[in-house]
Amino acid sequence: MDSKANKDGGARPAWETGVEKLPIRSRLIDFAQPLPGTYLTTGSRAQRGYRLSKFCMAFMKPANRDAFKTDPERFMSEFDLSDYEKDLIRTENFNAMVRYGVNAFMIFKVANMLGINQNQTGAKMRLQSYEEFLATRNTKDAL
Amino acid sequence: MAAPAHGRIIGGLGSPHAPSIGAAYNGGRHLTPSWKPLFDGYWPMQAWLEKKKPDLLIVVANDHANTFFFDRYPTFALSVAAEHEIADEGWGKWPLPPIPGNSEFAWQLAHSLVDQEFDIAVCQEMPLDHGFLTPLSCFFPPERRWAVPVLPVCVNVLQPPIPSAQRCFALGRAIRRAVEAYPKKLDVVIAGTGGLSHQLSGERYGFNDTAWDNEFLDLIETDPERIARMTHQEFMTRGGADSVEEIMWLVMRGALSPKVRRVHRNYYLPMVTGFAQVIFEDLAAEAHGEATARAAA
Repeated sequence: MDSKANKDGGARPAWETGVEKLPIRSRLIDFAQPLPGTYLTTGSRAQRGYRLSKFCMAFMKPANRDAFKTDPERFMSEFDLSDYEKDLIRTENFNAMVRYGVNAFMIFKVANMLGINQNQTGAKMRLQSYEEFLATRNTKDAL
Repeated sequence: MAAPAHGRIIGGLGSPHAPSIGAAYNGGRHLTPSWKPLFDGYWPMQAWLEKKKPDLLIVVANDHANTFFFDRYPTFALSVAAEHEIADEGWGKWPLPPIPGNSEFAWQLAHSLVDQEFDIAVCQEMPLDHGFLTPLSCFFPPERRWAVPVLPVCVNVLQPPIPSAQRCFALGRAIRRAVEAYPKKLDVVIAGTGGLSHQLSGERYGFNDTAWDNEFLDLIETDPERIARMTHQEFMTRGGADSVEEIMWLVMRGALSPKVRRVHRNYYLPMVTGFAQVIFEDLAAEAHGEATARAAA
């Protein structure tokens, strides 16, 4: 999937394409020098991703899992997700979801609902195919 | 040596807590070629626990948004519950019986920690997720679940600000003082869980460094204060963002004598995480015994 452009060709939000530096000062983490490919769930990023994170938590209840499987669009609307948030789910864009501010452990919950396991989710975060990802691993079936 | 009529730490365990491990064991897939080298590291731990027969297992792990959520997220939390439910993480509960606690000692530990300026959150309900369930599943053969009551301690490693490595090491020391001050026989084993190198999000998903993992295993045994001086930035640079959870091994190590006897160490990196297991035996009683013998001589 092209992460640079919307289906309609519109520009993607800055957090999807740029290096976002959170205005936090800490002796423990250098927020001015984020590690490449790393998006810590804190500060404004964590607050931006909060509603979608909360949505992911719903899947801890079997009734919600059933409701999503029956009618995902309706379930997402009931949670008042924005169009952007719904689109992250529809397009399985886990790379953008991390950058948006959703912690990996929430993402794994919604990915599971889409039939995608943890390492397949990780491959998508790396912007790779699952086969490309597996080629970098010591074993392929410790699942 | 006869157990004294007060609490003591008899040893520490290090274990990974990845959900794939617990799922493989509980699903009977642990003898496949890809899993066997990891599970060969658990059999000595099962045997050691059966031999030592601790009265309590303090397990230090982190929540993965199953026990808590970011609406309110404690830095440190412990459970005083008499029993712990199995969390449904989003794909159904693991088929495990509820896990017994030790409420009396847990309340005492909470008071002792706050007396020592560790203002830990106290939970009367704590559904446990794979952070606890993977190591606990693997510490006991299925027919011995749950041979030992468990006192769960949670450390925030998900949403910075995360407590410093030094603070976690100091928490371990405070736990030791609380255990030793307990006026009843209580043989305690403490487990630090998680790691080692891994990163589970972003383009850096799948990052590992086996050389660093082995250096960490050397240092946690012989020079834990050096690990305790590390910043989170250093942990994340060397071992991937999620390796910062190695600070929970420092809680375990801080609760042990300065020198320990390592009786087990295993390392295996199958897919995305460097998995390590250790058993450290506490040497304080032995050192005390030697001093007594010298004084008597």
